[in-house]
Amino acid sequence: MNLAHLHLVMNHVPTLGAVVALGLLLLAFIRRNEHLKHVGLEVLFVIAVLTLPVYVSGVAAYYEIRERPDVSVDNINIHQDAALIGFTVMEFAGFVGWVALWQTRRRGHSARGVVPAATVLLVVALAIMGRAANLGGDIRHPEIRAAGAAAPAEGDPERFITSAIKEVAVYSTWVWPAAEAVHFLGLCLSFGVLLAVNLRILGVKRQTAFADVHRLLPWGMLGFVANFITGMFFFVGQPGQYVASAPFYWKTVFLMIAGANFLYLTVFGKAWRHTEDGDGGFEASLADKAMAVSSLVAWLAVLYAGRMLPFLGKAF
Amino acid sequence: MLVGASWMLDLRLLGINRRVPLSAYRWVFPAVSIGLLVNVVTGVMLFIKNATKWGTATPFLVKMLLVIASVAVLVPLRSHVLRNDAGTEVSGNLRLLAIVSILAWTGAVTAGRLLAYLVP
Repeated sequence: MNLAHLHLVMNHVPTLGAVVALGLLLLAFIRRNEHLKHVGLEVLFVIAVLTLPVYVSGVAAYYEIRERPDVSVDNINIHQDAALIGFTVMEFAGFVGWVALWQTRRRGHSARGVVPAATVLLVVALAIMGRAANLGGDIRHPEIRAAGAAAPAEGDPERFITSAIKEVAVYSTWVWPAAEAVHFLGLCLSFGVLLAVNLRILGVKRQTAFADVHRLLPWGMLGFVANFITGMFFFVGQPGQYVASAPFYWKTVFLMIAGANFLYLTVFGKAWRHTEDGDGGFEASLADKAMAVSSLVAWLAVLYAGRMLPFLGKAF
Repeated sequence: MLVGASWMLDLRLLGINRRVPLSAYRWVFPAVSIGLLVNVVTGVMLFIKNATKWGTATPFLVKMLLVIASVAVLVPLRSHVLRNDAGTEVSGNLRLLAIVSILAWTGAVTAGRLLAYLVP
């Protein structure tokens, strides 16, 4: 199975997953069921995480099929632009969903308007992703075009969003280095927070209530958002450096694991019983400790793979 | 590990999680020590590979100064945290040091990352 194949397998996840998450959230609104809402938000977060490999493998697929005579590079670019916008909105929805989950864990309910905002963003993401999926089908499936309809509109190569980002990445002398600096600062912040949270689960500083380390998660998220934005800038700006790079794929895989871990830490409920009377003393089970170790290992693997991009891969 | 753990303490000193006693932040110092040890050992190895180049590059010297400043700021912070058992109060001076620590680390990381671009 090559990466183009992986893209064909995974490309249904954002659209179908968004339908499932949306269904759960709408049902939760109708039934006024908090538990269902929670599940819907969790599904939304997972779908947002899984949308990353869909986008990344799509760019790799582009590199695999662009030489073929029966493939229009323009069609791919139109699809890619739609996918990039859909991806962005989907990540936004996932982020807002995460905020709702964090607030719910902390205060028992999310702030007003957060869940509706996530839902609206999800609807927008679904619409754009649906269009991207349709445009993607046009690349290799002439049979799905309406009879007699012309080939899809030609895009102006000068005006693709991805081309504009590439242009900035290649020709600006300071944007790339500045983004690199932000990327490193973001990882320090994220890793510091994860260290604090996971060490607490592992039994260090036992007197601290888990709620107090949970309080730090948004700071970790802030670092991650900075890294995600700058990282995607690198990837969209110079995809050729990454699509054939083994460490980049390991990095993506470990990001998926780390994302699952982060969700676990956000909604982690067991430790909270102990916090109401104000004292810490929460003892994590072996499974929780394994989760904490895997979280740190996954992040170290992300860092290692990222740092090795220029050495094992060919990024600079 | 080094920078992240320092920042966690700095954030606490600046009032994030104000009601948590400072003694709950003692884990920061072993974490910082391990991170610093690893960084110094690997850093020296990277340095001696091309000592004349790095030793004469201004951005590198700036980075070293910022690292030394960041670590130096941790010293008074450490003695304060170890001295106070259940204290939650943070004086203005400590807050100032926390701000200096955040900025110095930010500068050090930024300078370090930019070395790849500024020093050919």
